[in-house]
Amino acid sequence: MRVLAIARNTFRENIRDKVLYNLVLFALLMIVSSLALGQLTLGHTDKVIVDLGLSSISMIGTLIAIFIGISLVSKELERRTVYALLAKPVHRWEFILGKFLGLAFTLTVNVVIMTAGLILTLACHGVGAGSCLRLLPAVYLILLSLGLTTALALVFSTFSTPALSALFTFFLWVIGHFNGDLLELGRLVESAVFLRLCRVLYYVLPNFSNFSVIDSRNVIQSAAYYRPIDPWGVAWATAYGLVYGSLLLGIAIAVFSRRDFK
Amino acid sequence: MTDGRRRAWLLIASFGASAALLKPVQDRVDARFRQPSTVLDVLYFGSPRVARALALGYNSLLADVYWMRSIQYYGRRDEAARRPVRYGNLVALLEITTELDPDLLDAYRFGGVFLAEPEPAGAGRPDQAIELLDRGIVRHPLEWRLYFDKGFTYFWFVKDYAKAAEAWLAASRLPTAPNWMEALAAMSLSRGGAVETARALWERQDQESNRQDVKKNARNHLISLRVDEDRWTLEFFVERYRKKFGAWPARLADLVRVGLLKYVPHDPSDTPYLYDPATGEVRLSPATGVLYLKIPYDYRAAFMEKLARAFGPN
Repeated sequence: MRVLAIARNTFRENIRDKVLYNLVLFALLMIVSSLALGQLTLGHTDKVIVDLGLSSISMIGTLIAIFIGISLVSKELERRTVYALLAKPVHRWEFILGKFLGLAFTLTVNVVIMTAGLILTLACHGVGAGSCLRLLPAVYLILLSLGLTTALALVFSTFSTPALSALFTFFLWVIGHFNGDLLELGRLVESAVFLRLCRVLYYVLPNFSNFSVIDSRNVIQSAAYYRPIDPWGVAWATAYGLVYGSLLLGIAIAVFSRRDFK
Repeated sequence: MTDGRRRAWLLIASFGASAALLKPVQDRVDARFRQPSTVLDVLYFGSPRVARALALGYNSLLADVYWMRSIQYYGRRDEAARRPVRYGNLVALLEITTELDPDLLDAYRFGGVFLAEPEPAGAGRPDQAIELLDRGIVRHPLEWRLYFDKGFTYFWFVKDYAKAAEAWLAASRLPTAPNWMEALAAMSLSRGGAVETARALWERQDQESNRQDVKKNARNHLISLRVDEDRWTLEFFVERYRKKFGAWPARLADLVRVGLLKYVPHDPSDTPYLYDPATGEVRLSPATGVLYLKIPYDYRAAFMEKLARAFGPN
């Protein structure tokens, strides 16, 4: 219950911080793209709208996850509100988990509203409900990826400054899209040690391509052509997200628990 | 006026002056330093694979951006004239687009046309168009339209009718291909069938396409074929008149008067053709509503022979 109370407060705080203003930007993007794309492209207008919509959901979500995530703990420390909170019978793990769930809920609300906007735009272009439903697995995978980004930002937020945390999270997010190349690089260089190092890094670093590529196909691309996404691929991506996310939250809790606030 | 109010007015005045000066200053900079002599022709990514790696999962969106860039790059004819090489980067843009989104069929299909169209309308590189379509065929071996387009490129731009027929025959073996594909291949292989095949191709495009711009283009080609044949028919009878009466007719109506024609045809927009009594030449009137597209076949002589056979000796 205490976790939920912290989560609720984090969500309220995010709303007060005008996080949802990004929805206006998204709405404008959808309206402008609806009007302009017909002039710029040859056919496939709805495909471009899906690409633009889903990519925007992912990009805006990632920016929120990074920039709000890094301040989740540091802001409490800066304002010294954490002292008052931890003086109460609240465990440190509850604080971290509550913060994570609060931002995750903010992101979910954001993603749900943006998806509704995207579907509305597509409906205006004559896309049927059946095709729109095919977008949902892609939206779900984007949400999973955002959850992992939030957890990553939270880890850095527990021990580093906001600027450095943002930098670390962003770099890991970028590297997380090149994990497959890391293995290829290990195979190219004829050194057993280097290959082992690459393998270790492959498993240790977050693999964001698990959420963006399923069955060798880009998830947003599949959604843009209204192709079904393999449910087993989605299930394994969920499993990966849960396992890696738990690991990150564990690290965040461990670091925060050992932190001395004196 | 108090100091505070004076400062506020000063601030507003300086803001207004800056805002008013912004446009003239920018225009001055543009006029002085940015002569539009050449257009910046930048690819950003040299290799399609690099573009794919750096897309960070947003391959589909980046593919759309590159597809739109390809369309704009091709479509802006005035800009193309100012580039060092008119359509030099078109093939690279299309390669990046199809590498980022291998399923974007329009990029192969329309991209092929952009590349194959002769200068100044296109890049004049049917070889690159065929390579692009071949890459599409490797990725989509069951998509008959890509074989159809490959055959079309061979037929229309390379004029290799055997290769065109080969591509159309390959398409006809696919389960989804329409049954007229085989007939098209046979027509292309038949002797002297170039114009008949062209007519059949445009008729098919007019009937089958669900895109209005494609239909319109096909109709314009069909209309242009009719205009050529009308003109040549009129010139054929003008020549007969000259042989019979020793001079060119003064006007086309004279052909009807002497019984060579039953009526003088108008062009498909119902505008009379222009006739030059000094040379016997017939052409489209400037007032015509026809968008004439030059047909890349010189089959005038063959058509005249056909008329001579049909109407007998003088």
